[in-house]
Amino acid sequence: MYSQYNNSSLPAFTSSGIFNRETPDHLTDRYTSIMDEQGNIISMMARMTFSGDELYTAEGSHYRIDQVQGGNATAKFLGMDPQILAYNEFYAGQNVSVTKDLAEKKSSDTIAIYHSHTDESYVPSDGKESIPFKGGIYQVGKSMVDRLQKGGFQVNYDQTPHDPHDNNAYTRSRRTAVELMKTKAAVLFDVHRDGIPDANYYRAKIDGKNVARLRLVVGRENPRMSANMDFAKKMMASANNIHPKVVKEIFVGKGDYNQDLMSTALLIEAGTHTNTKEEAAAGIALLSEAIPAVLGVSPAAPAAPTTQKPAGTTSGSWKALGWILGLTIFGGLGFLLVSSGSLANAKQRLAGFGREFSSFLGPRSAVRKINGESDNTENLGQKYEAKDDLAKETMKDPEDGLKKG
Amino acid sequence: MERFPIGITLLLLASVAIYLGLAQRSLDRMRLTDRGALVVIAAIIIGSFINIPIPFVPFNTSVNVGGALVPVGLAIYLLAKAGTEKEWGRALAGAAATAIIVYVIGSLINSGATVEPAGRYAILDAIYLYPLVGGIVAYVLGRSRRAAFVSATLGVLLVDIFHYFWLLRNGAPANYTVAIGGGGAFDTIVLAGIIAILLCEAIGESFERLSGGPKIEGRAPELVQNLKTPGESTAMAENGNLRANDMDATGNERGKVDIEKHEDQK
Repeated sequence: MYSQYNNSSLPAFTSSGIFNRETPDHLTDRYTSIMDEQGNIISMMARMTFSGDELYTAEGSHYRIDQVQGGNATAKFLGMDPQILAYNEFYAGQNVSVTKDLAEKKSSDTIAIYHSHTDESYVPSDGKESIPFKGGIYQVGKSMVDRLQKGGFQVNYDQTPHDPHDNNAYTRSRRTAVELMKTKAAVLFDVHRDGIPDANYYRAKIDGKNVARLRLVVGRENPRMSANMDFAKKMMASANNIHPKVVKEIFVGKGDYNQDLMSTALLIEAGTHTNTKEEAAAGIALLSEAIPAVLGVSPAAPAAPTTQKPAGTTSGSWKALGWILGLTIFGGLGFLLVSSGSLANAKQRLAGFGREFSSFLGPRSAVRKINGESDNTENLGQKYEAKDDLAKETMKDPEDGLKKG
Repeated sequence: MERFPIGITLLLLASVAIYLGLAQRSLDRMRLTDRGALVVIAAIIIGSFINIPIPFVPFNTSVNVGGALVPVGLAIYLLAKAGTEKEWGRALAGAAATAIIVYVIGSLINSGATVEPAGRYAILDAIYLYPLVGGIVAYVLGRSRRAAFVSATLGVLLVDIFHYFWLLRNGAPANYTVAIGGGGAFDTIVLAGIIAILLCEAIGESFERLSGGPKIEGRAPELVQNLKTPGESTAMAENGNLRANDMDATGNERGKVDIEKHEDQK
């Protein structure tokens, strides 16, 4: 399908271009093609990819990038993803005609939508790819908002601009995302578009409409990654069940994208800048129809698969919990060992850890005694040697306050 | 509710507890007591819900108490309490260097209208980039955990100020929202400060352990004083005697203090 791409002529990301700002002339310069081991292009995206990034196709094929050379990345096929297969089957078993009808049941869930890159625009509709502070992406977001509101959802659409279009935009949009979380958001969508030159990569006719298909992006540098991944897989399976292949793929790449804030935070790329805005708006409206089934608020799906899990899936949130706890314990013990210098010291410190909390409720009598003694003592260092670490900890506790030092 | 199954609830609780626990532990490494650190954490959490609008300035500008005022206030407090002028200068230089490096990487290199989703060379997300740069800059300049905190928090604040000027120059619409520290406890200002201390702590402890602990002989008395817990150091400084076993005691308390060895190495 994508054989028109001649890989050898694909321009690459080059270090000499680090400070070159994109101009319309250079639009075709910067994107990556991901190929499988047979050399077939499996995806294209306007970003640098790295070894270890992953790709999940709509069918459930799971790839991991193991080699990157300029604008070409080679990915290894790791087999079919059992979770996506299970979700595909799960949602296929649901009553599609009822799921389509969003208005059946009002929901109290708030859907939060924002844009980190608020200049993003679509050339055929907006005239250029970037319109500072008021890009065409707002109309694409609006299309999602309208669709959800029609379905009875409460939508909180934050239109705060975060220009310029750079990496620090995520630091600025993080503030918007946190504000949105305060409104009890059930899900948090950051809507973007891609920047590859070829519109046909995304263009499709689905249910008689011209649409730009979508990519879901999950950040690898995010402690909740497996929970977000789980949510992305559900969204993709549910959307594709209603409107086949409207979600092309899930890409797992470097970045956080503020997904550490919520397990149900997702970055959506609606087509590319060479698609029309209308195509992108139509595509994202189709995705919106998948949300009731994923959240379990549609009459057709009384329970989300989180509670009624299809066979072969482990909940991403448990996995994320395991990772977070595991890393904390591992890191904590490692640090304890390094900082205390020996296994025996580490053990001693660990033993004192639980007792440390009791000092917040009031200094223990033993500690008071040490405190009292230490005031006029010259051989303090030797005294310290004799006492355990707890004594030292609590020494400074009761009255020092902020003035100390 | 279906969307809050037990796994997600536990994940939420665990991540918040670990985050705040780490935050408390790292602030503890500043010139704060355990209790002082807890007070700061509480102020950050409660302050997260308070946005103070700034009148009479362009744009829709506000400052969040928990996300900006408390951490920046703590940074200024630490600066004011710095042992020497050199330490003070180093922390400020660190903040400026952090801001410039982060601005160059995050706003100049990683930018472009059709580079998605985070820029061409976006290897590390901004929320890690700030503390990493702040921590490394501070460590290289002064091997000081306090300086790391100051560099990272004030560095992010400086980038916010650069951005404000960018907005003025580029004619941003009047309704543009500038929410400094608007992320509250999860704002990059707070995250950067905490991760920078932890980073310094981890690197510092490892290197210092490997190199056999800090040297005390021939150091300025105020620096040596800072190597000790306060009660202990006062007694020591008055005596003027620092013996071998004191150094051991210092070693065990090393996590609580700043260690500055660079002068010895000159």
